[in-house]
Formats: sequence, C-alpha cells, structure tokens
Amino acid sequence: MKILYKYILAFIVVIFSATSCVEEQDFDQYDEISVTPTYEASMLYVEAPEEMVNQAPSNQVFVQNFNFDAFSYKTFAERVLDGSITYIIENTTSKPLEIIVEFLDDQGNVLGPLERFDVDPAPTAVLQREVAYGDAGRPIDIITNTSSIRVSTTNLGDTTSVSNEDDPKIIVKSSAKFRVRLK
Amino acid sequence: MNLRNSIFIILLLIGCLVQAQNKQLLYDFTEIPQAAMVNPGVETDFQWYAGIPALSGISFQAGSSGISVDDIFANDGLDINDKIRNRAIYGMDVRDELSGTFQIEFLNIGFRGKNPDLFYNGGMYLEGDAIGYWFRDYAILAYEGNADRLDESFDLGHLKTRGELVNVFHFGVNKQMGNGLTIGGRAKIYSSIFDFNSTRNSGSFITSEGQNNIYVSTLQANMRLRTSGLNSLKDSFDEENTSATILKRALFGGNLGVGFDAGFTYHLNEQLTVTGSLLDIGFIYHSNDIKTYSLQGKTTLEGVEVILPDAFDDPNTDFWEDLVDEVEEFVPFEDDARSYVAFRPTKLYASIRYNFGEPVESRANCDCGPYSSNGAGNRAKYVNGVGAQLYAISRPRGPQAALTAFYQRRFGNFMALKTAYTVDKFSFTNIGLGVNFQAGPVNFYAMADNLLSYRNIAASNYASFQLGLNIISWGQ
Repeated sequence: MKILYKYILAFIVVIFSATSCVEEQDFDQYDEISVTPTYEASMLYVEAPEEMVNQAPSNQVFVQNFNFDAFSYKTFAERVLDGSITYIIENTTSKPLEIIVEFLDDQGNVLGPLERFDVDPAPTAVLQREVAYGDAGRPIDIITNTSSIRVSTTNLGDTTSVSNEDDPKIIVKSSAKFRVRLK
Repeated sequence: MNLRNSIFIILLLIGCLVQAQNKQLLYDFTEIPQAAMVNPGVETDFQWYAGIPALSGISFQAGSSGISVDDIFANDGLDINDKIRNRAIYGMDVRDELSGTFQIEFLNIGFRGKNPDLFYNGGMYLEGDAIGYWFRDYAILAYEGNADRLDESFDLGHLKTRGELVNVFHFGVNKQMGNGLTIGGRAKIYSSIFDFNSTRNSGSFITSEGQNNIYVSTLQANMRLRTSGLNSLKDSFDEENTSATILKRALFGGNLGVGFDAGFTYHLNEQLTVTGSLLDIGFIYHSNDIKTYSLQGKTTLEGVEVILPDAFDDPNTDFWEDLVDEVEEFVPFEDDARSYVAFRPTKLYASIRYNFGEPVESRANCDCGPYSSNGAGNRAKYVNGVGAQLYAISRPRGPQAALTAFYQRRFGNFMALKTAYTVDKFSFTNIGLGVNFQAGPVNFYAMADNLLSYRNIAASNYASFQLGLNIISWGQ
C-alpha cells in the first residue's frame, strides 16, 4: 500500500510539475500593505439657553467635566495616527461669551493647550475651528490619553439683556476625524 | 500564534474556502465507480468494486471569481495598495466569491445484488462546503473608513458566508428498469463536525449631516451568525485532544442530519442518452455546541449630547456611559444556544449525450451492452461520446450554474479520456481533461480543470483536480 501511495504522489507531482507554470510573484509585497482608514463622527454637543447664561453666578455659566472614553479605548488608542477635531460654536444670545475646551486624562490633568473661543453676541457668524493632531498638529498623545473633556462657559457681558433671536442659546458642536492603522 | 491556534485557523479557513465542486468531468464517466456519487442513476456494469480507503476519491477545488493571486502579488512594479484598492476593493462585485472544496472518501464499496438489475453502493466521505461572497462595503469601511462619505450607505447585507465540515455516511441502490431507464437513489446521514452561516444579514451604516451635532451616524442592523461545533474544536486545541474531538464529531458525535440523492439515465435511442441527478436534498439539525451571535436594532448617534439646564438635574450623570448604554439597548449584541436547521446546498446535474463510432464490448458478465438480447437494458458503450451538461447549485445569493460541452473517447477497455469545456462565473476558458485507466482489476482516474490556467496558475481564478483508485470486478 505504501508503494501505491508513493506512485500516486509521484504521479501528481510529475503532472503538475510538467504542466504548470507560475509567473514571478512577490509575496514580500504583503509587508507593504498599508490599511489606514479615516473615520469621523460627532463627539460632544452642549447647548445652554440664554436664561441659564443670565442666571449664572459670577458669570460662570457652567464648568463641567464630561466623561469621554472613546479615545482611550485600547483598539483606538493603539492605532490612531493623526486627525483633527472640528468645533462649531453658535451663539444666539445677546452676550459675548468665552468658551474653553480642555482634554483631561484619567487623573484629571489637563492635556495640551486649552482650546479657547471668544464668541461675539448675536447676530454673529458661526465660529468654526479645526484643530489638527498628529505630525501636522498637536501631539496625538493628547487624544490617546483623553479620558474626559471639560467645557467652561463664561459670560463676558451683562446678565439682563435678552436676544431678539428665537430661542436664544449657546451651542457647542464638535466632531472627530481620525486616521487609524489597521495594517 | 501557537501551533494549535494555527491549525484551528487553518481548519476554519478550509471551511471558509470550500464549496461544493462541479464535477463535470466525473459526471457520467461510467467507467469510474465514483460517477455514481454524482448520479446515483448512472449505468454501471460492475459486479463489485472497492475503493482503496482514503484514495478512492480525492478532490480539491479552489476558485475566486473576482480576483487572482497574480492580480495582487505579481511582481509588476505597481504599488500593492493601489492594486488592492483598484482590483479588490472597487474591482470586485458583491456576487464575486472566494471558494474551494475538498472531499476525501474513506470508504466506498459497491456490489451487484442477487437480482442483477440491482447494484448497491455505500461508504463514508468527508466533505467541506462553504462560500464567502465579497463583502464590499465592509472592505471599503475597513480600507478607507467613513470620512468624507456623507450620506453614503454601507450595506451590512454584504456579509454572506456559510461553511461546514461534515462526514457523510451513504448507502444507495441503482436499478435498471428496462426500456433504457436506469434509476438510483442514495440515503445519507450527515455527521456535522462544524458549521457556520451568516447569510440573511441586512442593514446599513450611514453618516449624515446631524440635526443637532455636526454628524449623525445611523446604524440599522439585522445580522446573525450561527455556529455549531466551533467551541468544541477550539476547546480541543486547548486540551490537546483535537483528533479525538474531530473523530467523535465525525462519527455521530456532532450534529446529525439526513438527506438523499436521486438520479436517472435514460436512452432516448440506442445512441442518444439523457441523464439527471439531484444531490444533497437534506438538512442538518444543529442542536449541540451551538453559539448564535446576533446584532439587531437601530440607533442614531450624534455623540454625547448635553442639553442644559435639564442635563444637570442629576450631577452624577455620566453622559458617555448613557450613550454606550443606549447603543447597547437599541442595537444589542447577543448570543444564544438555540438549535437551528441548516439545509445542504443542493446540486443539480443534467446531461445529454450522443454516442458514436465503434461499440465497445462490455466487460460485464451479463447479457447487456450493444448486442444484448434484452434491448437497451444497459447502455452500449461506444468509442466516442459527445454532449452537454448542466450543473447548478443553490447558493446564498441564488443558484449558480455552469454549462459544459464534452467529448469522451474510449480506447478499448483499458483507457478512457474525457475532455470538457465549461463556462461558469469563474472562467470562460475552462478546459478540463480526465483520464481513466483500467489495468486488470485496478482502476485509476485523474482529472484536472482549467488547464489553460496552468500557464500561469497564479493568475487562475479556478483550479481543481480529482483522482481515485479502485479495485473493480466484472465477475468474469
């Protein structure tokens, strides 16, 4: 039986060796495969009515830490290469406002420079800013170590006036767009 | 990665890469006992035969309808990332598939009954069957992401795959009915080693301009992956008793099913013959070692949303956790162990054949053949045969078909050749060749498809071969 197996194996090898050709393949190219998709999604949305701005003690409308673990997930933090965060601020109140956004690590330490927005009272154009991270921007470590985001809003105007706009409020929008390395 | 994990992954890949093979060269090759495996109603003149265990029927096929190894790895100086993007990601269609097959017979015997019109056969073989369609939108998401693709809907239904590794016990009977008709049937018991399927997925992922925040991400999913036997196999690798586990599951220790094959051969006249067969009409009831994963629901996300002043009513509110909880509530990822039924991929063969040239004297110890006194009780074998065959198989994206034109030439009772040209989704240039040798009682056959692709096999979209070794007696 063993001889039989050998003959059959030899037959297969001979047939395929005699008939088949393979043009030169370079499987080392596998190492050159680069899979770096870019994903984007909304991040944080904060909305406060003018009434709350007027009632704020010491003109500090609010200072709040928002837990935000999306960036610190291992699968993201270990793979992110670069990207940006886009902020859009809309102020339809009658007051000028100062808005500060800070990224904090899990110990509450501030990571990198704060993001400060001085917003004019209504009517005002929408304020939009894109902040880059990675080689062309701020250190990507700021993103990967972020555990929460602190948003502070200060009223730089009076506390009595009321905007003529419908439903006046201050709105902070933000989205993240990052490139990650999958391979 | 250790060896056990590697073997486990290889086993899974085998499952993923196998699908039922079109055996157009073997079909109606009446000199070969295994022809009965693709048509239980094939005409046979053997007194008995016995396949050499593990060698009587070996077949392998690999196919990719959309891309070849050469398309990606050719040493052509092009950037491999451009080749992947242009030829795979955007070059392939969702109907393109990656597939293959293997089948190994461990036992195959046949014998003529006391009634010479009846021929029985039975045995056991291991078969894999699976298919994976090109999951294009998943590939785009993974390769390029969703950025700058506002309002583009990624179709979650692009994930369609199924696969299994199953041991099949079979017993069949073939009867010459007279008047040129031969019919046959075969009962099968399936002992599933492992199975997985994820074929009825639907849903989408889309990023659009948000109502509140900048973007809104909408996930609507109705997805399910059903598996059986995989946990046992994985555990067996950890416990280093893989062989025993596979053997146990192959020998009725896994999930069981039943099915049958049926076929016929009919002479329209002395030289014109039609045949047909239906294979694997059956199912497997999966009830042990089940794990079904599902993702069902719909959610829209605009990030963490804080609407003041109400949001500060509870100072301990964790908006991020609320967001995560909301996603898990509306699109829960769950698993369960509910039983399920998996239908076998049914195959259909049909052929028409015209025999011509000199008749070949039958070796059968019977009153049969071209000069038999009972008319066309058994087909006359002629030197030449030409005809056409149809093959179809049920698949998750609908039936797949192949058309074959063939020519068969017999050289006495010593050798027979069959060449076939087949058109299917893999190739329009599939020319195959099969050869059967009969040296005394020893029967050996070998077949290979898509021979033109052997000029550069790396560029081939399809390759297959079959071979086998039997001992045959005509009772002389």
